[in-house]
Amino acid sequence: MNWILPEGSLLEFDGLSKPLKVLRGLGGGGQGQVFEVDVAGEHLALKWYFPSYLARDPNLPKRLGESIRATAPNSDFLWPIALLRPTPATAEAIKLSDPGCGYLMGLRPPGFVGAIEHYAGRIEISLQNVLRAGFFLADAFHDLHSKGLCYKDISLGNLFLQAETGRILICDNDNVDVDGRKLSSVLGTPGFIAPEVLMSRDRPGTNSDLFSLAVLLFRLFTRHDPLRGQMDLGIKCLDEPARRKLYGEDPLFIFDPKNKRNRPNPEEHAAALITWPIYPETLQNLFLQTFCDGMKAPKRRALTGQWKEILAKTIDHRVLCDQCGQENFPDDLATPATCWNCKSTLTQPQTLRLANGVVAASADNEIYLHHFDNLKPPDLNHPVGQVVQHPSDPSMLGLKNLTTEPWTAILSNGSKTTVEAGKTCNLAALIQLFTPMGDVITTI
Amino acid sequence: MPFPNVRLTNRPLHFIYICDCSGSMAAQGKMQALNQAIRQSLPGMVKVARDNPEARLLVRAVSFADKASWHISKPTAVEQLQWVDLQAGGITAMGEALELVATQLRSPPMEERALPPVLVLISDGQPTDDFDAGLKQLMNQMWAQKAVRLAIALGHDANMDVLQDFIGPYPQAGGQVGRSMQGVSTSARQPLQASNATALAQYIEWASTAVVGAASMPVSRTQGSASEGNIPLPDLPPTLIDPIEGIGPVVW
Ligand SMILES: Nc1ncnc2c1ncn2[C@@H]1O[C@H](COP(=O)(O)OP(=O)(O)O)[C@@H](O)[C@H]1O
Ligand SMILES: [Mg+2]
Ligand SMILES: [Zn+2]
Repeated sequence: MNWILPEGSLLEFDGLSKPLKVLRGLGGGGQGQVFEVDVAGEHLALKWYFPSYLARDPNLPKRLGESIRATAPNSDFLWPIALLRPTPATAEAIKLSDPGCGYLMGLRPPGFVGAIEHYAGRIEISLQNVLRAGFFLADAFHDLHSKGLCYKDISLGNLFLQAETGRILICDNDNVDVDGRKLSSVLGTPGFIAPEVLMSRDRPGTNSDLFSLAVLLFRLFTRHDPLRGQMDLGIKCLDEPARRKLYGEDPLFIFDPKNKRNRPNPEEHAAALITWPIYPETLQNLFLQTFCDGMKAPKRRALTGQWKEILAKTIDHRVLCDQCGQENFPDDLATPATCWNCKSTLTQPQTLRLANGVVAASADNEIYLHHFDNLKPPDLNHPVGQVVQHPSDPSMLGLKNLTTEPWTAILSNGSKTTVEAGKTCNLAALIQLFTPMGDVITTI
Repeated sequence: MPFPNVRLTNRPLHFIYICDCSGSMAAQGKMQALNQAIRQSLPGMVKVARDNPEARLLVRAVSFADKASWHISKPTAVEQLQWVDLQAGGITAMGEALELVATQLRSPPMEERALPPVLVLISDGQPTDDFDAGLKQLMNQMWAQKAVRLAIALGHDANMDVLQDFIGPYPQAGGQVGRSMQGVSTSARQPLQASNATALAQYIEWASTAVVGAASMPVSRTQGSASEGNIPLPDLPPTLIDPIEGIGPVVW
């Protein structure tokens, strides 16, 4: 690759007190190139735009400046930190007729991979962590929209994941704009764009973000495109006009209950047919809401708050199949259910009842502050307790105290014991827990 | 338990180099420059293939001199591709090369469903056979009509008219306005003029990465981005407008 900023060079920019060092090129696309740079000992990412791209989006520097002042909605965004314009000496070193400009952002830490790696099936990730990633994504959009901003161009290419935790990072925040304003010329990425935007009936904004969010969640959860079913098989050459028809003129959800014209084909679209039944009806309903009624009526699309609530609940209900070990997510823990994978009957799990929710006692399930308080929105960032297996007997489950305060446990023989911070209480013996946040009652 | 091991739906994307290997290509190191450019572009192409799992990128190459023949006849996954150097010598059977490609764009052997093929024609001279007959046969194929057809003119003796015919008529009104700045192309709807090895390498890299990416999976769209054609072409690399000096011969 020909890097616009020479690797190894020291470059000065207006507004930076010291020159930064270009360490190496990280990659490039249609808009520009991204570099790893050293700014006063700190390693950051620098995105540098091609002049041709800046010419098409003249308001880009203004929007970036506003985003930088507004600061990141939450820590899951690799948000712009500073806008960089070259000094005359730097402009000289950049061998372009117009040197362009760029911005600094946080560097993606090791351990995060492009969401495409999951989509392509090249990483191992648990269903729990895929759902967590979905929650964090909805949460990030929630916080962004709460600031009156919209993203406009979410796609698999702008999302990074950590397989071991489900944590996410959103990059390419340069199209973020105040909702309703027309300062950005981006329309989005076909396949993710809402039909009304693709068909130029509307401009991108929070409502079209809700469509793109649902597409991204669907693709993460199923490894399939929500609009590619039977109608995809009718397309010989998948080019721009074909995509316009599929995603804009005649968009039809593959699981639309009222119109079965676009059902997945068992051979060509097996992924969708295998994965969709994994998810509880409450979660499926949000996709139906967005891709059926919400296809033509943007105001009916599932809201970020709904996604957060249902995804958090789905994760709370995770139970493991005794027979095959697969993760299942029943809507109702009290109703008998069968495993989506091996079809055997799921053993009814022990549950943890809290003031604001019921959590299945399955290894790695967690309890959070919002479980104790119905006024708190779901927040998966800071677990206060975790179901863990006994180190020498995995069949023995306990609840680990992840807080700094001791808890008091009432055991089945009527005795009381203290569960210090960092300690685990055997769930087989536990009847009730008193914590400073509230009570936990166990039931079978 | 891991996420179920489900296979992502994908479609083949056929990428075919059509390379001039006539005697003139031996002059000024053009043949070596082309071999180098293609070989150097392969890692980038592998990365694009990885980033676009909905496309199954398959590469082939035709060479033409006294006659046309398959240099790589089997559609080869780019990870497995090993570029064997092309050798220059002979006249310029460009028409026959297009006929050869036409036979492979018929269905079958073309799959029933695919992504638009990408055809890259590279030449430094004049066809010596019936170019029009070859082009006609090619363009009778639906998959050739749907293909992204790019042409690279090496040096200043290439016949720009036949290369433009291969690409198709250059859209005059609306869309991307193509100007030629200091003899440097600004739109790939016209033949790309490579007057040195650096420019050639950049065009080959662009065709095998940015264009392949655009044909595999749609890229982010802005208002006023190129919309003509059945695949919007990405911007040409900016370095070409002001080529970086110092690599390879400057003038051929
Ligand atoms: N903050 C970052 N840290 C590390 N790598 C990044 C960062 N932002 C982008 N990249 C990488 O740089 C490359 C180009 O990024 P991007 O600007 O998104 O390209 P495009 O023009 O295709 O959108 C990608 O490979 C991406 O993974
Ligand atoms: Mg990007
Ligand atoms: Zn099972």
